[in-house]
Amino acid sequence: MSSHGQAAEGRSNGVVLRLDDVHTYYGAIHALKGISLEVREGEVVTLIGANGAGKSTTLRSINGLNTPRRGRITFEGRDITNAPAHEVVKLGISQAPEGRRLFPRMSVYENLEMGAFQRSDRHALKEDVDRVFGLFPRLAERKDQKAGTMSGGEQQMCAIGRALMARPRLLMLDEPSMGLAPIFVERIFEIVKEINEQGTTILLVEQNALMALDAANRGYVLETGQIALADEASALRENEQVRKAYLGET
Amino acid sequence: MLRGHMPDGASNSPLSRMGAILTGPRPGFVSVLGLAVAGLVLLWLFVNAVQTPELFANVALIGLTNGAVFGLVALGYTLVYGILQLINFAHGDVFALSGLVGFTVLFSVFKVSADAASVMTVLAVLAALAITVPLFATINATIEFVAYRPLRHSPRLAALITAVGVSFIVQNIGLYFYDVRFRSASQLLPRDPVFELGDISYSWNKLIVLLITVPALIALTWFVRNTRQGKAMRAVAQDRDAAAMMGIDVNRTISVTFALAGSLAAIGGMLFLTQFNLRYDTGFELGLIAFTAAVLGGIGNLQGAVLGAMLIGFIQAFNEGLTWLSPGSDWTRSIVFGILIAILVFRPEGLLGERTPEGA
Ligand SMILES: Nc1ncnc2c1ncn2[C@@H]1O[C@H](COP(=O)(O)OP(=O)(O)O)[C@@H](O)[C@H]1O
Ligand SMILES: [Mg+2]
Repeated sequence: MSSHGQAAEGRSNGVVLRLDDVHTYYGAIHALKGISLEVREGEVVTLIGANGAGKSTTLRSINGLNTPRRGRITFEGRDITNAPAHEVVKLGISQAPEGRRLFPRMSVYENLEMGAFQRSDRHALKEDVDRVFGLFPRLAERKDQKAGTMSGGEQQMCAIGRALMARPRLLMLDEPSMGLAPIFVERIFEIVKEINEQGTTILLVEQNALMALDAANRGYVLETGQIALADEASALRENEQVRKAYLGET
Repeated sequence: MLRGHMPDGASNSPLSRMGAILTGPRPGFVSVLGLAVAGLVLLWLFVNAVQTPELFANVALIGLTNGAVFGLVALGYTLVYGILQLINFAHGDVFALSGLVGFTVLFSVFKVSADAASVMTVLAVLAALAITVPLFATINATIEFVAYRPLRHSPRLAALITAVGVSFIVQNIGLYFYDVRFRSASQLLPRDPVFELGDISYSWNKLIVLLITVPALIALTWFVRNTRQGKAMRAVAQDRDAAAMMGIDVNRTISVTFALAGSLAAIGGMLFLTQFNLRYDTGFELGLIAFTAAVLGGIGNLQGAVLGAMLIGFIQAFNEGLTWLSPGSDWTRSIVFGILIAILVFRPEGLLGERTPEGA
């Protein structure tokens, strides 16, 4: 972990993503009540919290699927608060969403291709597919299989691979370990570190707080639409409150 | 191919749910019953084919031609259903209005004289298409923008009711500008036979329908399979939010889909005008027939829509044209809509649809 922290410090510590007092609603439901956070270049930042805390809504506010009613979101200095989802990915943010959301009747290969949909340098597609297949050899074996027919773990790999195909500078992962067998969970977290070491900044949403804090440099704890705690990942792991609420200790 | 799917996991289409409510678990005797009916129909066709082979062949050729026109309209239902899970009831009326506007373009704008078909009149029909196709592409995309887009996040029933409303509006626009008279351009395409084999003949006006329809269908299939826009359509149909996350402009993609549907409807309207006659309310029934074709093939499935339309074209032609034990034209509606009900009850996913639309 310490090597990780140093890697992050080694790079310029510029803030890539900043949320400033973000309020997001679903109709009348006030889901985010003033979220402020930042992600710096080269970091893995994790967002943990109970079911319904607002983790996915935070990602949906960033990626443009839900426009905040108040507050400001900037990415690399650019205001993206009101940017529609299809523009946000062009700016360099991609996501493996909660529940994976693959295109079920497209093949694994076609799903990866869709990940690069907005890129203009589509000749580099092959290279990136090879990179994804390098990270997930299992996907290479299944490249012609319909994505909807694969196991949960394989689908998650495909979802992460698809997000990488956009060549993001910020990769957002929403509960990548949800519903997976333990061996897949470990593999997914290894991959998260690997991707980060290759130079991609990561915002990781998890309910599996222990694993997430292990993989991250810093973390935010969300409770009912607000940030309850923000600290270095190592400090959060030692925090009494966190240990009680999220690490299953009494 | 464009079969829609709802990301929330409630992935049964309203149609299949309708069917499931009516039948519960699929009883085995249904397949037996289905086979028995199919067997009787085949026997009936066989006896007719043996007794009056020339008539049978001529009637089949008529069925083929009509089926192609139905297919153009059926594809519009299936394209829109695939991407929005909306049964666009206004589609048939857009088709009819496009035929009426086509009439105006031919006879008032181009001032085609209708006494004799010639190369010029055929070219005039093609030139009129060059006007009505982009026009109705725009009109259909506008209908989506004005009437359906504001309801995108409302319960699906709201959009469905709106579609019925739009259907009435379009119909009444047709009534206002074209009154209740029927219009036709059946004199514009030559009726000389392309070939004659004894008493079997096929005329140019019918062949021209196929010569326009078949390339249009091939072009559409190619478009959806291979182009960037086509891939965007498939992605939006399968998961709208995920498509947006890939950088696909969902609104634009839906507009393009409506434009494509409108284009096909305009081709269908023009061809219908050259074969039959139509007026402001023709789209109501033809729309239902085309919708039946789309459901028969498996709504959301492009090839299914064409297959269903061909089948309905044949059914109609055989029923009205054959002599031995044919119910006759008075029964065509009952038969076609009987098929619609039977499909909804016994096989809501249609002939080519998948039985269970898979969740993600
Ligand atoms: N589509 C929706 N419509 C209405 N409320 C929603 C919707 N999605 C989430 N919510 C509500 O917003 C809050 C935050 O949800 P979410 O961001 O999904 O939480 P998390 O990802 O942390 O589990 C919850 O109270 C949830 O019920
Ligand atoms: Mg969530």
